[in-house]
Amino acid sequence: MTLSLDDPHWHPIASSDDLPKRHVYQGQLLGRELAVWRADDGHVNVWENRCLHRGVRLSIGINEGAELKCQYHGWRYANRSAGCTYIPAHPADAPARRITNRTYPAHEAFGLVWSAATHAQPFAPFPGSEGADWFALRPVPLNAAPQDVALALEKYRFQPATDLDGEPARTMIERPAPLTVRLSAQTGTALQRAVFFVQPVDANRAVIRGLIEGTPADPLAVLRHHNERLTQLRDRLERAARRKPAPEPLQPAFEPVSVELSTMPDIAVPRGNTLRVLVKRKWNSAEGITAFELAPLDGGHLPTFQPGAHIDLHLPNGLIRQYSITNGPGDLLSYTIGVKRDPASKGGSQVLVDSVREGDVLAISEPRNNFPLRRDATRTVLIAGGVGITPILSMARFLDKSRLPYELHYFVRQGEHAAFREELNQLAGTITIHAGLPRGDSSRTIAAALGHWSRAQHVYICGPATMLETVRSTAAAQGWPDEAVHFEYFKNDKVLDQSSAFEVELARSAMTLQVPAGRTILEVMRDAGLQAPSSCEQGACGTCLTGVIEGEVDHQDVYLNDTEKRTNHAMLTCVSRAKGKRLVLDI
Amino acid sequence: MTITLYDFELSGNCYKLRLLMSILGLRYDIVPVDFFPGRQHKSDWFLRLNPFGQLPVLVDDGLTLSDSGAILAYLARKYDASGQWFPEDPATTAQILRWHAVADDITATSSAARLALGYDYDFDVEKSQAGAHRIFRIMDEHLWFGERENRDWLCSPAHPTTADIACFPYVMLSEEGGIGREDYPALRRWCDRVRRVPGFVVMSGIFPAGRPLEEVQQ
Repeated sequence: MTLSLDDPHWHPIASSDDLPKRHVYQGQLLGRELAVWRADDGHVNVWENRCLHRGVRLSIGINEGAELKCQYHGWRYANRSAGCTYIPAHPADAPARRITNRTYPAHEAFGLVWSAATHAQPFAPFPGSEGADWFALRPVPLNAAPQDVALALEKYRFQPATDLDGEPARTMIERPAPLTVRLSAQTGTALQRAVFFVQPVDANRAVIRGLIEGTPADPLAVLRHHNERLTQLRDRLERAARRKPAPEPLQPAFEPVSVELSTMPDIAVPRGNTLRVLVKRKWNSAEGITAFELAPLDGGHLPTFQPGAHIDLHLPNGLIRQYSITNGPGDLLSYTIGVKRDPASKGGSQVLVDSVREGDVLAISEPRNNFPLRRDATRTVLIAGGVGITPILSMARFLDKSRLPYELHYFVRQGEHAAFREELNQLAGTITIHAGLPRGDSSRTIAAALGHWSRAQHVYICGPATMLETVRSTAAAQGWPDEAVHFEYFKNDKVLDQSSAFEVELARSAMTLQVPAGRTILEVMRDAGLQAPSSCEQGACGTCLTGVIEGEVDHQDVYLNDTEKRTNHAMLTCVSRAKGKRLVLDI
Repeated sequence: MTITLYDFELSGNCYKLRLLMSILGLRYDIVPVDFFPGRQHKSDWFLRLNPFGQLPVLVDDGLTLSDSGAILAYLARKYDASGQWFPEDPATTAQILRWHAVADDITATSSAARLALGYDYDFDVEKSQAGAHRIFRIMDEHLWFGERENRDWLCSPAHPTTADIACFPYVMLSEEGGIGREDYPALRRWCDRVRRVPGFVVMSGIFPAGRPLEEVQQ
C-alpha cells in the first residue's frame, strides 16, 4: 500500500482533548498542514494551515471564539465557512464574499477528531464501534512510515484495564483496513477490545491513535500502561526507520488562489446566487415584529456574512425584500431575521408574516453588506429604532465577541415592545432601551447619546427615516463628520421626481442612451441589453452604485451621505437622474 | 533601587528576565549589548561584567549577576511578594532547579539550531534539532499527564514558577531553528497558558495568545 494524496478515507487527526476552546491545534494529514480549532459553540474547524493573504500559518493565529484571527495582518475568518469577515487594513469595507480559506471535512467521534483529504466520502463509524463506549489513549507521534507502523502494531501487546498486573494477556489480531489494527487482549479474568488507527501524517511520519473499549476505573494507570508500551514500540520503530532510506515526503500541490479571487469580477453580478432555505422557526419577537430562523436545506451552513449584512428574500407573491441578518460571528447554521408587519406595505412584509409558516421553503440571496462595521473605533455608538434593531444586534454581537466596547441605544415607540429582548440581555455592552419618548425628548436623548465627536468615533444608525434624519442632523450639529456616521434606511420614503429627460453616455460600454421622463437609467440600460446589478430599486441599498465621469447628478436616494452626494463621483441608477441634459457613467 | 539589564533584544535568555520583571511589575534600565553581529558579549568591557562572556547580566544595587536561571531565582526571591514564582519549600525548589537545568538543555539544542540557521553560528544543526525534539517529547508527555492530574505547569504548585519562564522562550522560538512543534500538542497548550499569565510581554518571534474563555465570560 502506498499513501495517496487523494486518499478519500477519514483518519483521526487529533484527540477531542487536544482542542480546548480558544486554542488552535496544529495538525497534518497526508502531507498537508492543518489548523484545527474549536469554536465556542463546540464546532470543530479543520482548515488548510495558511492565511489566504500572505500564507502565514493559521495555527499561530488567535481563536477568538467564533472567528480565527491571523497573527500577521489580523484578517478574521468565520467559524464553519472559513469566509473572511474583516480586514483591518480596510476597516470601512466589507471583504468580498469569495475570500474563503480552504477547509477539510471534520467530524468528532469516540474522543477523536477525524478528517479526510477530500470531501468524497461521508463519515462512517469504524466497523465494530457500535454499542460500546470508547476511551482515547494518549496519541503517540513517531517518525516512521505509516504502513510500517500499522504492521508493527500487530505485535503490540497490552493488558486489559481490569487486569494490568495479571498474567500476560493473549492477543487476537485483526487488520480491517491498511492503517487500522484491532487487538483484543485476554487473560483468565478479563477481555479488552482495542483499536489502533495510524494517522498518515506524511510518508515518514505517523501518529498512533488508540481507543480502548469502556471507561477504565483507574484511567491514569491505564493511560500510563499504554503510553509506556506504545513509547517502547515507537522507539523500536524509529530505530528501524533510521536504518533504511527515508521515503520522500508527500508533495501536496498547494492550489494557487482561485482564478475567481485573483481576477476582477465582472461588473454585472445581478443578484448573486440564490439559495433555498427552510423556515426552521417563526415566532413573535415583539408586538408587530416576527422573527424567522432560516436554515439551509442540506443541514450544512449558510454563506459567510459580516455585521450589517442583509439578504434579499424572494416572497411567495414575487416581490423581493431586504432583511438584515441578526446573527453573531461564525453563527452560520441559520440566519435569523426580524420582519415588521407593516399594513401600509405593498404586500411584502404582510405576506411573510401572514402566510409563511414553519417548514416552508424560501429563496434568499447570498448576504450583501452595505453597512459594514469598523472594528478599529475608540468609541462605537449603535442606535436602533423599531425593527432597525436587526443589523444593530448583529453588530453588537460581533463587538462583544472581540471584547470591544460599545453603547447601544434602542428606541421603541409608545405602545411598541422591544424586539429581540432576550438576545439583547445576553450582550455585555452598555444597552439602553428608550421606550415611548415624545419627539422632543428623543432628540435630546439622541444628542446626549452621541456627545461631541472626537477622532476614531463612529455611530451606526438603523431605523425609520424620521429618526435617521434626526440622528444625522444632530450628529452634524455636534461635529460628527459624514464619514463617522453610518446609516441604513429600510426604504426610501422620498417622493421621487422622474419628470426629467436626458441622455446617458456609458463610457465603458461605448453606448449612448436616451432616458425619457418616467423611466429610470437602470431600466433603460436593461432594455439596451446591459446586465446591471441592483437590489432594492428604490435608492436605499446601494447595489446599483455607479461611478460618474461627467455631468451633474440629481440625487434622489437615501444611500449616499451628503458629502458623497456633493462630490458627484457616484450615483444610484435606480432612482437618481441628471440635473442637466447629459451624464457620462463609468459603466 | 535601580535594576540594569544588559540585554540583546533577540535573545531568549534576556527575554526570560524581561518577562519575569514585567510580570512582577519591576522597573529597570536596559543597556543594549550587540550580541550579533557585533559580538560585544566577548568584548573587554562585557567580560569584566561576566567572564563567561554570556548574556544576560543584571546589576541590582551594585550587585552583578549572570546566568538567566540564577537571576530568575534572585528576582523572584527578592521582589515577588506572593512567593509563588520561586517558593521556599525544598521539594518545589528541587523541582524548579531540575527544570532550570532542562531550560539550559533547551538553550543548548533549540537555541543552538536557531543560532546556526539565523546567526551564522557553526553548530551541528541536525544534532541540535534532534536534541530539542528529544526534550520536547519528554516535556509534552509530562504536561499531557499533568493536564490529567490537574497540574497545568511544569512543577507541582497550582501556579507557574520560574521553571515555566525559563523553559518557555526557546520552546516558542524553536521554529526559527527548524524545529516544528506539531507533534507536541500538550506543549503547545502550555505555551498558550504561559502567554496568558498577567503581565506577559512579547518579543520578536513570540506572539500573544488570545484571551482565555474564562476571562471573556466574566
